[in-house]
Amino acid sequence: MKKSQLLLSAGLALLVLLTGCERPPIDSVQHGFRGTGMVQVYNPRTMELKAEENVVPPSLPALPGDGPKAGQVYKNVKVLGNLSVNEFTRLMLSMTSWIAPNEGCVYCHNPANLAEDTKYTKVVARRMIEMTRHINADWKSHVAETGVTCYTCHRGNPVPNNIWFKEPEQAKGADFIGDRAGQNLAADSVGSSSLPSDPFTPFLLGNLDIRVNGTTALPNGNRHSIKQAEWTYGLMTHMSTALGVNCTYCHNTQSFSNWQGNPPQRSTAWYGIRMARDLNKDYMEPLTSVFPEHRLGPTGDVPKANCATCHQGAYKPLFGQSMLKDHPQLAGPGTGLDKTTLAKK
Amino acid sequence: MSMLSFEKKYRVRGGTLVGGDLFDFWIGPFYVGFFGVTTIFFSFLGTALILWGASQGPTWNLWQISIAPPDLVYGLRMAPLLEGGLWQLITVCALGAFGSWMMREVEICRKLGMGYHVPFAFGVAIFAFFTLNVIRPVLLGAWGHGFPYGIFSHLDWVSNVGYQYLHFHYNPAHMIAVSFFFATVFALSLHGGLVLSATNPPAGEVVKTPEHEDTFFRDSIGYSIGTLGIHRLGLFLALAAVLFSALCIVISGPFWTRGWPEWWGWWLNMPIWK
Amino acid sequence: MQYQNIFTTVQAVGPTHHGVELGHGNSPRTGEPYIEYWLGRIGNAQLGPIYLGGLGIASIMCGLIAFVTIGLNMLASVNWNPIQFVRQLFWLALEPPAPGYGLSIPPMNQGGWWLFVGFFLTASLLLWWARMYRRARELGLGTHIPWAFAAAIWLYLVLGLFRPILMGSWGEAVPYGIFPHLDWTAAFSLRYGNLFYNPFHALSIVFLYGSVLLFAMHGATILAVGRYGGEREIEQIVDRGTASERAALFWRWTMGFNATMESIHRWAWWFAVLCPLVGGIGILLTGTVVDNWYLWAVKHGVAPPYPAVFPEVVDPATLSGVKP
Repeated sequence: MKKSQLLLSAGLALLVLLTGCERPPIDSVQHGFRGTGMVQVYNPRTMELKAEENVVPPSLPALPGDGPKAGQVYKNVKVLGNLSVNEFTRLMLSMTSWIAPNEGCVYCHNPANLAEDTKYTKVVARRMIEMTRHINADWKSHVAETGVTCYTCHRGNPVPNNIWFKEPEQAKGADFIGDRAGQNLAADSVGSSSLPSDPFTPFLLGNLDIRVNGTTALPNGNRHSIKQAEWTYGLMTHMSTALGVNCTYCHNTQSFSNWQGNPPQRSTAWYGIRMARDLNKDYMEPLTSVFPEHRLGPTGDVPKANCATCHQGAYKPLFGQSMLKDHPQLAGPGTGLDKTTLAKK
Repeated sequence: MSMLSFEKKYRVRGGTLVGGDLFDFWIGPFYVGFFGVTTIFFSFLGTALILWGASQGPTWNLWQISIAPPDLVYGLRMAPLLEGGLWQLITVCALGAFGSWMMREVEICRKLGMGYHVPFAFGVAIFAFFTLNVIRPVLLGAWGHGFPYGIFSHLDWVSNVGYQYLHFHYNPAHMIAVSFFFATVFALSLHGGLVLSATNPPAGEVVKTPEHEDTFFRDSIGYSIGTLGIHRLGLFLALAAVLFSALCIVISGPFWTRGWPEWWGWWLNMPIWK
Repeated sequence: MQYQNIFTTVQAVGPTHHGVELGHGNSPRTGEPYIEYWLGRIGNAQLGPIYLGGLGIASIMCGLIAFVTIGLNMLASVNWNPIQFVRQLFWLALEPPAPGYGLSIPPMNQGGWWLFVGFFLTASLLLWWARMYRRARELGLGTHIPWAFAAAIWLYLVLGLFRPILMGSWGEAVPYGIFPHLDWTAAFSLRYGNLFYNPFHALSIVFLYGSVLLFAMHGATILAVGRYGGEREIEQIVDRGTASERAALFWRWTMGFNATMESIHRWAWWFAVLCPLVGGIGILLTGTVVDNWYLWAVKHGVAPPYPAVFPEVVDPATLSGVKP
C-alpha cells in the first residue's frame, strides 16, 4: 500500500501546486449565445476586495450657482471663470480630497498667493480640468453619461497608480547579442506573458494598425506580419487585465475581426482606444516641459494614460458609478471638435 | 463468414458480468452481451435525439449542425428541451453509451482471458469527457459550461474557453498535456517504425530479431526500452496526455479565474530572486 | 490483487548485450553497458553501449553550437544576469529578424543570430537523420524510422524555412524560446483568422489525437496479452500465436474489424507520420494561399452561424461624420 500512498500524496501535492490560490464557488456570467463559451468568470472573494477599492467618496453638499463669478473675484482664473465662487471653492475642495488629501491646497498653490502659477502641479491641474471636461463632453462614445472626474484616475493619489512611460532602450552588456526586439521578458504590462511589453507607444500614443486580419479569405494585399499580431495581442492583454475581463467580453473568438453579432462593448472599446490616443497626444505630451524631472519617465517622457489608468481592474471605472451628476462643472464644455471624424484612423 | 480462420475455438460461453447466457452471443463479428444491448439503446437514442435536434435547427449541413447546452441561468437544473434540455439528454446517452462500451470490453476481455488494460484506458478517455461536461460544469454551477455537440461549433467553444484565460498556452497543466501528446505521437512513430523495420528489411535480407531492435536504439541513443517496456511507455504517455488534459480544463475556471500567464507570478515573485 | 503487467516484479539479469555485430566500416561502440535496476522495473535494464560515429558527433556539435548560441542570446537579453536568466528562463528567447529585413541577412543582433542558429540546428537535424538511416542500414533493418523522422523534419522546415521564404520574410518564423514560441503559435492563429478552420490543421489534430488513441489501444492490448508473450511482436508476426489471436479477436468482437500483429504497426506508423505531414501542409498554405481561414470556411459553407443575442453593433471604423 506504500506505493499507492506515495502516488496519492504526489498527486495531491501537484494539485495543490496547480490550484494556486483560487477555489470554487466561482461566479460566471454568460455573454453570448449558449454553448459558445463566451463567459466571464469572477472569483467572488476577489470581487469583494475590488468592490471595497471602488467605493465612491461622498460628494460635498452642492452649493448654489448664483452670486459673483470666480473669474471676477479671483485673479488668474483661466478655465473655471464662470463658476460661482461657491461652486469654484467646492470644486477646489473636492479636487484636494481626490488628488492630494494629505498634501492639501499647498500641493498646487503658493499659500501666500493662491493665484500664481509657480508650482507645476497647478499648471498641470488646470490642463487636466480641461481634459476632464473634454472627456465628458466630446467622448460620450466611450464614457456615455457616466463620465469621469479627477477621482476616476487619481483615487486620492497625486500621481495615479496606473500610468505608463516609454521603455528605455534595452540595457546591453554587449551590443552584438541579446536584442529582445521589445518582447521576451516577463512583463506586468502584458499580464506576465512574454508578449511585447510596450504596446502603448504604438497604439495608445501612435496610431499604428491594431487590426492585422485580412478582409477576404484569399490573400488580397494584407501584408501584416505575425509579429504585428503579437503586438496587438499585447495591447488586448492589457485591455483585458485593465478591465478585469477576458477576450470574450468583446469578441467571439470564432473570428476576432468579424463585427457581426459581437457584444456592444467592442464598439465602446474602439472609442476608448481613440480617446486614449487623443488624451495622450493633445493633453499629456504637451505638458512634457511642465513636469519636473522626477515626474518624468526613464526616457524623459511625460506620464501617460492607458486603459488601466481609469478602469483599474473594473469593467467600468468605479463599477459604473457616476460622480458627474454631483459635479456638473466637469461635464463640459468640450472642445467642440467632432470626435468621431477625428477618431477615424 | 465473419469469423477469422482461427476464431471458432475462442467463441466459448462465459466471462459475462450481467445476464449470464442471455446475451452471450455474436452478431456477425460483433460480440453482443448485456452491455452490447445497452450500448445499442443509448447510441440509438442519443443519435435520434441529435437528428431531431438538427431538424429543429437552421441547417442540415454536417459541419454546421450544433446541439448547444443550456443558458447558464438554468444552473444545474433540467432546461427546456429546445433550450438546452436536448443537450442534457444527449450527454446522458453519451455517457451511457461510452460506459456500456467499456463494460462490454470488460466482458470480452474476460472471455478471451486478457487483462483489463484496454477498458481501463478507455475509462480514462471517458473520464476526460466526464470532466469536460459534468465535473467542470458542476464545479462552476451550471450545465451551460459544457461544450456544444457540433463539428465546428465545439471548436469555437474550445477557442472561446481558451481565451477566457487570455493565453491558454501558459496553463501549466496544458503545457504538460501537450508535451505528452507530442511525446506519444513521437514514440508511436518510433515503435511502429521499429517493428516494421525488423519485419520488412530491405530486399535480400532476412527478418530481424529483437536483438536488432534493441541494438538500433542502443546505437542511436544509448538505451532501448525493449518490447514490453515500449508498450508500457506508450500506454503511460497516452494516458498521461489525457489525464493532464482533463486536469488543465478542470482547473480553468473553478480553480483559476485570471489569465494563465498571470499564474506564473508565484515563480516570478519568489523571494529567492532578490 | 492480480498482477497487472505494469512493473516487472522479478528481473532476470544476465550478461549485458554488446549489440548485434556491425559490418565493415563502422566504429566500435562506446561505453561499457551496465544494469540499472529501476529502469528494469519498466523495460530493459541495460544502459549503453552507444554508437558514436562521424555523423552523430557532427550532429551533436552542430546541435550544441545552436543550443549554446540560443542560451547566450537569452543570457545577454537579461544583461548577463544569471539570476534573471534562471528566473525568466521560460520567457526568454532568440527572436527572428523583423519583417522589414525580408529575406536578406540582417545584422547579427537584429536576427542574424537567429539565422545562424537555424542553420546549425537544421544541419544537426539532417545529420542526425543521416545517422538514423545509416544505423538502420548497417543493421540490415528497414528504414521506416528515418522516413518517419523525415515527416517531422518536413514540419520543422516548413515552419522555419519553406514558409518564410514563400512569404518573403524571415520574420514569419518561430522564435527560439519556451513561452515566446507559444506566443508565436497564438499570434499565427490570430493573424490568419483562426486556425481551427484550416482543414489541414483539423486533419493533423485528427492524426494527433488518433495517435494517442492508437498507442493507448495498442499498448493496452499488448500488456493485456502479456501472459501469452504478446510483446514478442516479431515472433508473433512471422508465427501467429495465441497472443495475436486473442488481441485481434478482442478488437474484432468489440468494433467489428481488427488489425494483425504487423498491420497495427502500419496503422501506428501512418497515423504518427500523417500528423506532422498534414500539419506542415496546413502551415504552408496559411498566408500563401489563404489569408483568413474563418472567411475561407464561410465561403465553403462550414462555419456555424450563431443566433444574435446582442443588439446590432456597427464597426465604428466604417462610420463617417456621425456625432458620437
